[in-house]
Amino acid sequence: MKLILNSIGLDDWKKNSGELGCCSIVFLLRNAILFRRSFRVFDYGMASRVEGTFHECVVQGIIQTEHVEALEILLQGLCGVNKERLRIHELCLKSSPNLGNGTSEFRLICDLEQLPEPTWTLRHIGGAMRGAGAEQLAVLVRSVGESKVSKQALRLFNALGYRLDHELLRVGFSFNFQRGAQITVTVSSVNKMLKLHAVDEAVPVTPGLQLVEVTAPASADNYTEVAAAVCSFCEYLAPLLHLSKPGVSTGVVPTAASAAASFMSDGGGTTL
Amino acid sequence: MPTKWVLHWHPNAGSTANSQILNDISQCIESINGVRDGRWKAVVTFYKPIVRDQAMVAEFPRDFLGISIPDEPYKYYFVVRGQRIIVEADVSIQAIMDKLQSYKLRVMLNFEGLQYRLGDFRVRVGKVFPSHSESMRGIVMEVEYLPISSIEQSKQIMKEFLEIVQETLSNKSLPGQFTHTEPNFAEYGLSDQYTSQHAAIQYSTVMAQLIASSQLAQAGRN
Repeated sequence: MKLILNSIGLDDWKKNSGELGCCSIVFLLRNAILFRRSFRVFDYGMASRVEGTFHECVVQGIIQTEHVEALEILLQGLCGVNKERLRIHELCLKSSPNLGNGTSEFRLICDLEQLPEPTWTLRHIGGAMRGAGAEQLAVLVRSVGESKVSKQALRLFNALGYRLDHELLRVGFSFNFQRGAQITVTVSSVNKMLKLHAVDEAVPVTPGLQLVEVTAPASADNYTEVAAAVCSFCEYLAPLLHLSKPGVSTGVVPTAASAAASFMSDGGGTTL
Repeated sequence: MPTKWVLHWHPNAGSTANSQILNDISQCIESINGVRDGRWKAVVTFYKPIVRDQAMVAEFPRDFLGISIPDEPYKYYFVVRGQRIIVEADVSIQAIMDKLQSYKLRVMLNFEGLQYRLGDFRVRVGKVFPSHSESMRGIVMEVEYLPISSIEQSKQIMKEFLEIVQETLSNKSLPGQFTHTEPNFAEYGLSDQYTSQHAAIQYSTVMAQLIASSQLAQAGRN
């Protein structure tokens, strides 16, 4: 656990509900900056398809595993679409010390749910949008580059001087729907591999906690509207979890248990 | 995808590829009832690593290529020939590579010319030139047999078609000939069914041959 935390340069642990719990929460939140269900195609037309870079609004939070079923029921009611299963092997690659003007990194994301064989996507997270306007938003707006790649991508980038920094397996589900923006809600457990690439032997990094991420693609022209749509949707999830910018830890919601019990007995939420 | 051979013009000793030879080749294709049906373009980019210590540059591959081919305008291909690696990506990968700032363009070569339809065959003939200059560095020809995707099954008919083309070219007494070297696709993990990845590998092979021819010609002049 410490090794993984050190490897991502974690250095600010909040004392909240025990050191291990804090480590777990902060680790999940920090690491989630780098995750999205990358094979979603957000079609901005030909220009974006060619450029492959776009902005993304994102908030995240954590939820106890025992409340995930209630969250799923709530999301099913809110989104009006079926959930999609998620099983993603994520490899973080970093440049070797002598390569490039500074350290560069990206993720290779293998979607293990795809048939007949897994698909690969390369995802590069750029910087967060800066300025008073962006900082006042309750969501993080960041630039993202994505490209589908064929299965020899890992071998290629190893040959080019990129090394595996760490790898994770994310298992869960997602909902993808339109509500003011194209929004994706992802709920997943984050698992580490005890042996290199051994996805079948992965164990949870934080047993008992799962990561929830809400993302929506945006452009430089419409990110405020997209951010507003995301925030508006997140209010519906407030009984179960708090969602905030990556890096801003809010912990679990104290009333989540009672809210979850309510959703389980009602069997659903509000259909939009 | 239909099978394809990509050939390069191997000039005789003491001669180089030039526009006149390219025109003569085009006329030969037209003389065997080739119907012109458009233009085509491919681009091969040589990358080099950005390193902080130049002494360490040998750690990184010297034969790292990026290739765009006419049949897949929204795809981009990476090849590292020495390690037999081929990766297909979206064309957006180029923007991501720019952002990573670990490799930069060393030289970019354009392949451009006319394409012809001859029955079940499509033939593309074109010149090779650097992006910053119009000076011709070579001539290439693509021969595609449209009905078949199996490389093995199409070998015989491709060979026979090429013999017809070569015979027509020989009537012009051109100082050179087209040569074809089939890469070992299995070493790249590819099957007998032809794909755009096979095409990218063929372009990388042709590049290596053009460089070798150019170096031989240079050695001869020296």
